[in-house]
Amino acid sequence: MDVLTKFTFVIACWAVIFITVADCSNDPSEMSGDSARKLPSVVIPVSQTSTLGSFYSLSLSSLFPEDLNEYCIELLSIYRQRYVTYANCLVTYARPVKICQNCYTDFNSLEDIYKNISSDHPGPGNVSCHDSLMRSDRLMLLYALFNQLDEIWRSAACKQCLTKEQEALSNDTVYFMATLNQSLSCFEQYQKNHSELCKDCKASYKKLKALYGRMDKNQTLCIDLEDAMNITQQLWSKNFSCLLPREETVPVIAVSSFMLFLPIIFYLSSFLHSEQKKRKLIHPKRAKSSNSLMNIQDKFN
Amino acid sequence: MANIAKKVSWSSRGDDRGERTPLLNGAEDGKHDRKLSEGAMFHIGRLSTVDLEEEITPEEDIVRSRPKEIPHNEKLLSLKFESLDYDNSENQLFLEEERRMSHMGFRCLEIRRWVICGLIGFLTGLIACMIDIAVEKLAGYKYLAVKENIEKYTELGGLSISLILWAVLNSAFVMVGALAVAFLEPTAAGSGIPQIKCFLNGVKIPRVVRLKTLVIKVFGVICSVAGGLAVGKEGPMIHSGAVVAAGVSQGRSTSLKRDFKIFEYFRRDTEKRDFVSAGAAAGVSAAFGAPVGGVLFSLEEGASFWNQLLTWRIFFASMVSSFTLNFFLSIYHGKLGQLSSPGLINFGRFDSDTVQYNLYEIPLFIIMGALGGVLGALFNVINYWLTIFRIRYVHRPCLQVMEAMLVAAVTATVSFALIYSSNDCQPLGQDNSEEYPLQLFCADGEYNSMATTFFNTPERSVRSLFHNPPGTYNPMTLGVFTLAYFFLAVWTYGLTVSAGVFIPSLLIGAAWGRLFGILLSYIASSQSIWADPGKYALIGAAAQLGGIVRMTLSLTVILIEATGNVTYGFPIMLVLMTAKIVGDYFIEGLYDVHIKLQSVPFLHWDAPPTSHWLTAREVMSSPVTCFNRVEKVGRIVDVLSNTSTNHNGFPVVIHTTENDEPGKICGLILRSQLIVLLKHKVFVERASSRLRQRKLQLKDFRDAYPRFPPIQSIHVSQDERECMMDLTEFMNPTPYTVPQETSLPRVFKLFRALGLRHLVVVDHENRVVGLVTRKDLARYHVGKDGLEELHLAQT
Repeated sequence: MDVLTKFTFVIACWAVIFITVADCSNDPSEMSGDSARKLPSVVIPVSQTSTLGSFYSLSLSSLFPEDLNEYCIELLSIYRQRYVTYANCLVTYARPVKICQNCYTDFNSLEDIYKNISSDHPGPGNVSCHDSLMRSDRLMLLYALFNQLDEIWRSAACKQCLTKEQEALSNDTVYFMATLNQSLSCFEQYQKNHSELCKDCKASYKKLKALYGRMDKNQTLCIDLEDAMNITQQLWSKNFSCLLPREETVPVIAVSSFMLFLPIIFYLSSFLHSEQKKRKLIHPKRAKSSNSLMNIQDKFN
Repeated sequence: MANIAKKVSWSSRGDDRGERTPLLNGAEDGKHDRKLSEGAMFHIGRLSTVDLEEEITPEEDIVRSRPKEIPHNEKLLSLKFESLDYDNSENQLFLEEERRMSHMGFRCLEIRRWVICGLIGFLTGLIACMIDIAVEKLAGYKYLAVKENIEKYTELGGLSISLILWAVLNSAFVMVGALAVAFLEPTAAGSGIPQIKCFLNGVKIPRVVRLKTLVIKVFGVICSVAGGLAVGKEGPMIHSGAVVAAGVSQGRSTSLKRDFKIFEYFRRDTEKRDFVSAGAAAGVSAAFGAPVGGVLFSLEEGASFWNQLLTWRIFFASMVSSFTLNFFLSIYHGKLGQLSSPGLINFGRFDSDTVQYNLYEIPLFIIMGALGGVLGALFNVINYWLTIFRIRYVHRPCLQVMEAMLVAAVTATVSFALIYSSNDCQPLGQDNSEEYPLQLFCADGEYNSMATTFFNTPERSVRSLFHNPPGTYNPMTLGVFTLAYFFLAVWTYGLTVSAGVFIPSLLIGAAWGRLFGILLSYIASSQSIWADPGKYALIGAAAQLGGIVRMTLSLTVILIEATGNVTYGFPIMLVLMTAKIVGDYFIEGLYDVHIKLQSVPFLHWDAPPTSHWLTAREVMSSPVTCFNRVEKVGRIVDVLSNTSTNHNGFPVVIHTTENDEPGKICGLILRSQLIVLLKHKVFVERASSRLRQRKLQLKDFRDAYPRFPPIQSIHVSQDERECMMDLTEFMNPTPYTVPQETSLPRVFKLFRALGLRHLVVVDHENRVVGLVTRKDLARYHVGKDGLEELHLAQT
């Protein structure tokens, strides 16, 4: 029996993952044409069969006496939809990273339903879906799936870019994006002449950098802003090569060699002018016999 | 003193050797003298081949018998150092006190010992915590200031100003520290480990365990680490622990002139030294988060006086110290109760999945150990010559302060120059492991890789070398860094600042170890086998440290505990072993070199080999100044006030009628005891009046400890000089004696195992013929041509 249950969930798992991928691939706007064309061909057979009804018939649910009640099935289905939407959103905005700006509503709804399932509130008919959906097997798939996505959300630090309730972008974020756009538009303006660009866009770029530094200190940065800043920095330093010139090598070398010269003077002068420390030898009292013995040996040497 | 001065003038009158050409010829003069002194060194060969008929030329005899001045060298024993009285004097007072003490009293003593050990651990941990926080704060301010300045001037131009700012800040910090050390308490200089080693060996180094030394030491360490010198704060921690132990166990401070009237029973050398070993262990424990390593350190350095109960107490002190540090640091970091930072240095966790090692890597580790041994020996040799130069020429305090400041400035300069010229740019790590990333001329979002090693406290650099992911450093950067830091560290150790050598050694080793790891992955075709250079950094660090200090068991355990990884025990042990074997081939460990250079009469584990033919008769000093059982006060005062013979123990003999004939031994009395007796005027003639007063007790002797007043401060009137003093009650009635024929190794063993200070040599009729002290034994050592003898000298 146990094996069968596991099997069911493995199937379910596969299905969910494939749906995720498949659904993402159906949104070609952000995908490069190449991969968009390849992916469906792999996935389509599964996604065709994976409607809700069909995988229940596959798993021979009628054999189990304690079947899931309607309410839980409904929750599960909502979970599936929201999960798919959110995962879809994540992959869509993976590069360049814009997940925090675009996926927070999806994440919120997913979190809602997850909390709903995991809460012990009995629904209609006095059933708690927490145990039946989440904890009835070793895999604990719903938990694991959510946990992973939650982990991604946390490590992206998206909360820091959003308002308290995660309903909208915070003012800081909006302001940063505006500043960023200023810089980028400046870059675009001088696309042709890099030396001009380095000079004329410096002000706006510096403003952006200062703002970024401030936000870094206040911990109001999330992955979106970091990534955007990173790309901008690379544009500035690598593409336009607006590096600082290394032009004062001579004074640095001069000062360094002066400093290195000082100890030589110090040691020479202390060697020449300082009185050498002398030790006064003391002759210990020894027995007569031992003295003569020493002399003999010393003589020999 | 006057006596000696007279002798000197007499010697310089004798021949041209005494003449000193001033100033410019200093160098030649020194060489000339050294040659002479080596020539005059007694080389003791095998007796079997000695030609007894060879006549003694008078000149040589004169050379030997005449006091003379030679430049400081390693083959001297200083008169400044005395032994600790580890042996208990079982005189009548002692027996009386023991009789009076109840069973309960002994129980209380034992409990008090435990309380003291707990206190030692607690205070040591607290001091470690204080040092850590102070260094972090000060260095933080400094690096932030310099960083801001560098950032400003990278854009505007004028980086040489930043360079000067950095150098000046460094020098300023170091100057404050060096001033305190050089002018207030020179004993606080260096790491303090050689001094503690000597103390545990049984040598009383003047002022080494005073409160003033502790204060200067802690202050000096904070200054020198914050001043960016190539030093660590771990060595001084061991010294600090020892001072805390010596202070707490006495229940008073003579520096502060406060007597808390507690722990009076422990006011003698025997007890004090046991506590000092606990303190040293607590210091190691706080420094490295290695309680077991601390215990083993004490065991390794003071192994001859040991018992199991003491070990257990020392372990207790170690654990308490580690825990205290942990607890207070957790409060400081705002994670109360999270006890995850057990030591001052935190090597970080070595995740055992990513840094496994394989059987085929063990030969590589051994090669690294040998390399560490060679580099360590090189370190010691250079430092040895530098130290000799310093002792001879840079001995004035103001010069010492200047030297320290110069080293600080040059350290900053070299660091800056290397950072400036480095082109190695690395992207910022995601977890922001770099505290003060410097961008300089790198692209935005990247930092200068050289700066992570130089622009940081040495400990953080060690940690980043251990743990930064592969590819963080390029080989060129590491090579240049190793070379520069090696010479900076050699140059820095031995300055008049209080600072340790552990961290710089680890850092040098970690740098070349990591380089080694990276090069391996270049050579090997498949990258995956040699994936993580971090473990090579660890092995390199162990090799380098082992090559420099040559500690064995304790260092292995300390490293294992500090990395928190037992699986590395075997490679670390192998590496330390190889490093020691290879290094010992060239020169001794750094601490031993410094002990030698300070002319300390240090007794090693064993007598020098091939010394069995030497007997007590040759070793001992003779004739001996003895006292009669009932002695005239005038004679005692005269003998004690004689500055040329600064004797400390006097055999007490049964009075004999003939003057020349040595008397039969019946006891041994110490200078300190005699002084207390004179102070209390315990004369036979006053016996009746003394009955009315209190009888002299052992407590009176303890109260005077450890700074007995000099004999000059005790006034004895002309009448009193004629009085008599009965020593029977106060002398040690059963001193250790040996017959004249006892071999040197046998005498040595007695000294080392029992912690003796005086050993009376007697003839077959139990008459005193000589006295063996520590200096008589320590002067023999194995040189290039077999046994050599060290000279006694005034320092």
